[in-house]
Amino acid sequence: MAANMYRVGDCVYFETSSTSPYQIRRIEELNKTTSGNVEAKVMCFYRRRDLPNPLIQLADKHQMAQSEDSPVAMKLKKICLKTPVGEEQAAQAVLDPALAAMEEESTELPGTDGLAPKQRHQAKHRELFLSRHVETLPATHIRGKCTVTLLNETESLLSYLNKDDAFFYCLVFDPSQKTLLADKGEIRVGSRYQTEVTNLLKEGEEDPRNSEQLETLVWTPSHGLSDRQIDQFLVVSRSVGTFARALDCSSSVKQPSLHMSAAAASRDITLFHAMDTLHKSGYSIEAALSSLVPASGPVLCRDEMEEWSASEANLFEEALNKYGKDFTDIRQDFLPWKTLKNLVEYYYMWKTTDRYVQQKRVKAVEAESKLKQVYIPNYNKPNPALIASSGTVGGGAAGAGAAAGAAKAAAVLNGGTNGTAACNNQQICASCQVSNSNHWYTWGPQHLQYRLCGSCWQYWKKYGGLKTAGVFGESEVEASKGPREGEEGALSVSHRPHRCTVLNCAKEFKLRAHLARHVATAHGCGEGGARPVMKTRAAFYLRASPFTRLARRLTRALRRPRHYARSPFSPINLAQVKHECSIAMAGLGGAELRAAGAGGGGVARARGPVGAVAARLASARGSPVAGGRAHEWLQLTPKDRLPVPAHVAFPKPPKAPDGSLMYERVLSRAELEARRAEAAPAPSLKRRAYDDINGLDNMSAGCGAGVALGAAAGAAEAGLAPPPAKRPNKHPAPMQRPSREQFAAMCAKAQATGQPLPPHVFAHVNGKPTNISGRGGRRHVISWMDAPDDLYFRATENAKAARRTLSCGELRRGARAPWRAMRGGISGAHGGVGAGGMGGASAKGGVGGAGGAPLQLVILD
Amino acid sequence: MAMQPHSKKRVCYYYDSDIGNYYYGQGHPMKPHRIRMTHNLLLNYGLYRKMEIYRPHKATADEMTKFHSDDYIRFLRSIRPDNMSEYNKQMQRFNVGEDCPVFDGLYEFCQLSAGGSVAAAVKLNKQASEICINWGGGLHHAKKSEASGFCYVNDIVLGILELLKYHQRVLYIDIDVHHGDGVEEAFYTTDRVMTVSFHKYGEYFPGTGDLRDIGAGKGKYYAVNIPLRDGMDDESYESIFVPIISKVMETFQPSAVVLQCGADSLTGDRLGCFNLTVRGHGRCVELVKRFGLPFLLVGGGGYTIRNVSRCWTYETSVALGVEIANELPYNDYFEYFGPDFKLHISPSNMSNQNTPEYLEKIKNRLFENLRMLPHAPGVQVQAIPEDAVNDESEDEDKVDKDERLPQSEKDKRITGDGELSDSEDEGEGGRRDNRSYRNNPQPRKRPRLDKDPAQPKDDIKNEDSKDEVKNLSGVEEPKKELPPNP
Repeated sequence: MAANMYRVGDCVYFETSSTSPYQIRRIEELNKTTSGNVEAKVMCFYRRRDLPNPLIQLADKHQMAQSEDSPVAMKLKKICLKTPVGEEQAAQAVLDPALAAMEEESTELPGTDGLAPKQRHQAKHRELFLSRHVETLPATHIRGKCTVTLLNETESLLSYLNKDDAFFYCLVFDPSQKTLLADKGEIRVGSRYQTEVTNLLKEGEEDPRNSEQLETLVWTPSHGLSDRQIDQFLVVSRSVGTFARALDCSSSVKQPSLHMSAAAASRDITLFHAMDTLHKSGYSIEAALSSLVPASGPVLCRDEMEEWSASEANLFEEALNKYGKDFTDIRQDFLPWKTLKNLVEYYYMWKTTDRYVQQKRVKAVEAESKLKQVYIPNYNKPNPALIASSGTVGGGAAGAGAAAGAAKAAAVLNGGTNGTAACNNQQICASCQVSNSNHWYTWGPQHLQYRLCGSCWQYWKKYGGLKTAGVFGESEVEASKGPREGEEGALSVSHRPHRCTVLNCAKEFKLRAHLARHVATAHGCGEGGARPVMKTRAAFYLRASPFTRLARRLTRALRRPRHYARSPFSPINLAQVKHECSIAMAGLGGAELRAAGAGGGGVARARGPVGAVAARLASARGSPVAGGRAHEWLQLTPKDRLPVPAHVAFPKPPKAPDGSLMYERVLSRAELEARRAEAAPAPSLKRRAYDDINGLDNMSAGCGAGVALGAAAGAAEAGLAPPPAKRPNKHPAPMQRPSREQFAAMCAKAQATGQPLPPHVFAHVNGKPTNISGRGGRRHVISWMDAPDDLYFRATENAKAARRTLSCGELRRGARAPWRAMRGGISGAHGGVGAGGMGGASAKGGVGGAGGAPLQLVILD
Repeated sequence: MAMQPHSKKRVCYYYDSDIGNYYYGQGHPMKPHRIRMTHNLLLNYGLYRKMEIYRPHKATADEMTKFHSDDYIRFLRSIRPDNMSEYNKQMQRFNVGEDCPVFDGLYEFCQLSAGGSVAAAVKLNKQASEICINWGGGLHHAKKSEASGFCYVNDIVLGILELLKYHQRVLYIDIDVHHGDGVEEAFYTTDRVMTVSFHKYGEYFPGTGDLRDIGAGKGKYYAVNIPLRDGMDDESYESIFVPIISKVMETFQPSAVVLQCGADSLTGDRLGCFNLTVRGHGRCVELVKRFGLPFLLVGGGGYTIRNVSRCWTYETSVALGVEIANELPYNDYFEYFGPDFKLHISPSNMSNQNTPEYLEKIKNRLFENLRMLPHAPGVQVQAIPEDAVNDESEDEDKVDKDERLPQSEKDKRITGDGELSDSEDEGEGGRRDNRSYRNNPQPRKRPRLDKDPAQPKDDIKNEDSKDEVKNLSGVEEPKKELPPNP
């Protein structure tokens, strides 16, 4: 039972392929998947056979050098053993020339002196290489436990050979870089690392250090009070605390019962205070008692647990849910009136409460998927390499009969003595050459048809080699290892973890899909083709393929492009389009099709600059341009002689002191709403605000204001107050924003006095309340998630009719200044258009105010 | 002192009530709160009233630069979470940011931890106390100009430097599961401080602490590293701790000891991988205390905080020589100790990868190294006359180890009654009263050399003098480590 329990931290065999040796892994995590299977996150150990050859050589040299305490060893210790695969040359370059001489010597492991060659061979099977490579495997592939320990120089390899399933490692292998590293830190030597050692004080020399300056006595045990007296005093101080809570109004709310008061008075803070009091009053109970009850009333000690109100506690829990234990953020966004220390102290006390226990229980349920151990029964299914038992029996019989005496001869006699030719040749185990075994396994490349006896098979699976070196077959197998290794290499490349590319994350995943999921969940963005997890408004564009363009031209159903552009929501009969298209295209040849497709929508023709075109045109008309000189009318007018328009539609905004342009801020809906609501009781005030800004006063107060006011009133009636701001602004916007002139004046004044502008001016004028509020300097960037909703208006027949009554100029003005009510006279309908143009929130009010303007507001979602 | 039973030590304990409120950051395993939890347990166990309690000063930059480099301390003093971005380069240089985050009050935290250890060392120097405890200290990874492993300022090195003013040789023992690399590196080339660290080695932070790292230059053989594997339990720990420490005491003969009590070597630690119980961990404190040298106890690692506070509470009681109940008293953080609410914890059933043979081999190798030490190193003969002992020890070295000891050698090993006692009042006049490490003409006290590892466990209760005497009788036999037969 215990043997089949696998825990986190255990080293285990994993079977990933039935014919290759087990893989040795250390369990880092055990996770239950939703399907109920257990996945093991494991760290990989590599065998010698898994490493590229040059690295193995390096490892042996490193070992050998370490085993002796030679200067070469010292040198090698510091070498990071590094070699690109297959490049022995480079590998040699890393090594010191001094080592080259040693190369001739054996490449056996150290400490093998005194080992028989067979043991030396087997010791190689026990060496592993640690890696930091982590992968995930199904726990059901576990095939038993083993131990892997760092080889200590005091140990002999024999101690590993004598134990089953015992491995050792010395070096760390990095599969992606193909390097070996000694798993060893270094104590550095030099004045930058060692301390200057203080000298012993000389005879009669006094240490200048004075204990009084280094410490404050808080309690001494030499006080003359008995334990009992101290205990009594503690009880008294607790009762004083209870009484103090009874007197304290805020406490009596929090602790309605006497029990609760008493419990609160028994917390450690009261006891610490009592001890301090005793110490301060020179361990006189009397003096201490009187200082517990000063003239101001009994002493009341409260810790954070008691100090916090219920609402603060709720806030804290909410914050904890939201931010985790990031107390700096919690403080900033939830409990700015507490200090960080208050929060930490409270947090650790809060953990003792029932509330925490409940939360923990929830977490425990969540954590259930993380297992500490897993039970994997012994694996009993026959290995596919097992030679079918009938064959085994037959083979066994043949072995018993014929091969018993002539087992070795059988290898030569490659012919059937008794007709069982197939199993004749390989009657004996390729490793230990026994001919008797309960089970036989095919082993090695197919065409060689080697077989292993049961125990050698086990050995092969566990240790990745054959018991004896140089037995026939091994060299071939080693040779055949080449391609297989390549295959494994390819495998490991494909196993190279997918690394998250997001900054500061760099988590690794085995599968690309896992990475995609991680990126989506942890970073909220889709990687490549992965679907974004967060819902966003569908943004799309239509890519017109040549065929689409062709269809547009050919199909009658699409002959009204303007109509469709205006009403994108009305469906198009696709079947009809297809049908017409196919008919039309059938009658056209390839070139015609191309021509039709290229029509006007194809690639723009390169016509060259205007001047060239003009020259060409002129020459076509028979008046060649002399000397390539352009006509006068083709020359650019100098800047200063450009005609100045009488009316600048979009004048440049004033410049800020730093030279940047300050654009007027376009009011947000909420602000507009607020402004209107505020303006409602005093229309004249409101009007002036707007008119001052725009320098226009041609609005007929009656209708326009009526519309606007109606909107505001409607909003007010509907209780459509704008939602409170997420982050309360430190500089609330003034009721009136400065007009352009006012602003210019302010700037001038600021420049003259050398003082910065008041922040709200910036905030208001250029619409970017950035960097001004200073602290932290965090820009308030509107995230794409908070972007205003998309709007479009669906114009009803009435609205269209109303539009038609507007002059072109009025329409344009309305489009440019959508917040302004339209001119009077056209009454409700176009007022509604204006209100609608203002954007959204006021639309309902606008409808009401405009006497049922037939506008429909549709919010795209 | 009249109030105390005579075998009890005078214990000073350093604590600042602010220490528990420093917070390394979300998800960081290091929690200074554990020191406050320990403190509350001490109060409610009634241990508080039995010690001198001090609030340490905040160590000044001047004090810290006795070891650390000026620019490193200047950097620590100026960095805050809100100005971190201006210090990118320096943060990299000083290894601050990842394991060692910048948190609010970082510098103050370092000041308090270092202040406690320095004040404690001064206290010991003034002989105003026999045992000083600073659970806020023990930050053994901090390097001269580099933070490391949750440690910024190495209070231990600062404390030892202070002790070196009065003590020719100081022994540092580290029972944290991590290697005490900061302290080892600081004293790697000196023979006045021997650092002995018991730690998990192999694919483990900080990667140093190989058996072969033995010190350099003058300090060669003065760094002792005991690399261990997963699953060390109480029994194996003691089986290696006792012989090594006895041998070290015998050969190095320190006059003061600093013990780093990192509690991450306990079973079930969030970062550790040993299987010690509170009792096994506390046993080390008890064993070191028995040598009766001025003794500074500091904290260290420990990341399952309920067990850390259990452990340090128990070790405080061991230092005080007071027995405390297994039932935990009620306190503000009582709920942390559920579901059993007991002081002692049981080991897990994890397998111990340290076989007795492995430990034996390590031990023998270390003994070989320790044999290379000249006895009583770095001694100025004129200043410390008691080093006459040296000659005897050299005689001993000449004796063939394989032979039974000649009677003359055996006689030297017989200790007088009370000579090994750690109780101050034994002998006439109380030996503390006129003790000085520099000019005391009486021969050096031979520490207790040989505890038989086979039958090691004296009970912890044996604190009163009667039991002490009983134990001592066992010491008077010849050394048991030597082979009895040729």
